[in-house]
This record gives sequence, C-alpha cells and structure tokens, in this order.
Amino acid sequence: MTASAPDAVTVRFHRSLYTEPAIKEAAETFAELASFAISTDAEHYVVELSAISRDVDGDVVAEFCNFALANSARGQRSSHA
Amino acid sequence: MTTLKIETLDAATATLTLSLDVGLYPRDVLYAAAYVFLDRAYVLLDRQDSRFIVRFRGKRALEEATFRAMAGEFENELLAQALRHQVFDANQRIIEDVVAVAIAGASAGAEPYVGSDAEHPHLVDPGDPADGFVADAAGIGRPWEPEKQGTE
Repeated sequence: MTASAPDAVTVRFHRSLYTEPAIKEAAETFAELASFAISTDAEHYVVELSAISRDVDGDVVAEFCNFALANSARGQRSSHA
Repeated sequence: MTTLKIETLDAATATLTLSLDVGLYPRDVLYAAAYVFLDRAYVLLDRQDSRFIVRFRGKRALEEATFRAMAGEFENELLAQALRHQVFDANQRIIEDVVAVAIAGASAGAEPYVGSDAEHPHLVDPGDPADGFVADAAGIGRPWEPEKQGTE
C-alpha cells in the first residue's frame, strides 16, 4: 500500500491474489466515501482513491483493502465449488 | 527452516509484515488464514518473486509482543486451514453425494398420507364447524377492546 497526498491514495493489488470483480465490488461498496479509478500495470491492479471522505470513523482506504481481500477470497472459494 | 518470516514489525505504527514461500501453502489457504484476521487488522496481500507478503495494520494500538503473538497465530491458522483444505479435498465426493441426496429428498416433496383413519384419526374434523378453531366457541378471535367489539 502506498500513500501519497492526504486526499488521494494509490493502492496496488497483486493480480495473482486479487480479482478485478472483487476490487470493483469493493469500490462500489465504498463509492459514497471515495472516488475510485482502477487501472492495471504488469503485475498489479492499481487503484487510485481520491475525494476520500473525512466524515467517517475508521480508515476508508484500509477498510476498502479488507473488502477487496474478502471479496477475492469468497470469489476464489465459490469458483472451486 | 522457518516457514514464516517476520519482515518488519513496528508497534508505533501498528504494522507487521510477514513473508512466506509461495510453495508452502496453496493460495486458498492463504486467503482463509488472512480472512480470520480481518476483524482485528487491516490486511493486504502481495507477492514479491517467490514469496507471499502479508501486511497487517492493527485496527487499534498493539504492543510488540501482541504483534509477535499475531504472527504465531497466523502461522497456526495457515496450518489449520491447510488441514481443512486437505480434509475437504479428501471428502469432497462424499459431501457432494450427501448434499445431492438431501436436495433430491427435499425437492420430491412430502406425499399426502393415505393410511386409514382408524390408524391415524384426524385431530380436527374439517366438516364439523364446532370442531377445532372454525366456530371459535371460546371467543378467542373476538377483539377485547370495547370499541372494536361487534365489528367482527
């Protein structure tokens, strides 16, 4: 996880561990708390979060990462079923 | 050989970074173990060359000893999940068969009973209005509020 300006953060999710649908679903979940732009590089999904809401308790970026992980794990499990 | 390595531990920033060889556990096991910690830490998985990187940040301030214990717990969780994974793989066919039988049984529906009344008499005679709840001889269904009485 790499942080930059206070109102904009870039998070990199390794493509072998996170799925794009899982990241998009997490972004939709947090759509009211930040703006998301998803792109890819060689090994990662690169998510730029901006306009992050300061009016909520907790860490929006870190919670978003947890959601992306949980969604990826669930997706992986259901694809095995 | 150490299966899990503490790369960084900083109690001041409540962060812990672990690494493990990608060949040690399947990716599903890594997911399952990380999932267990989501309620108490922020978790980010990554991969660098032949190692998985697991980054934790506590949701509240934690002491160094607690982080070291968390690393141990994570390793235990990896082992436990690996065993679950193994047991599931070994029994997957049985589980699928049991579920298939259960679903088939449920979807067939319950057949109406066609035995004799002498064997299993009806508890309520639907043809007799004085039997069962139809007549309401005790007035159970009547409103008790005076303003609503007589409206039924």
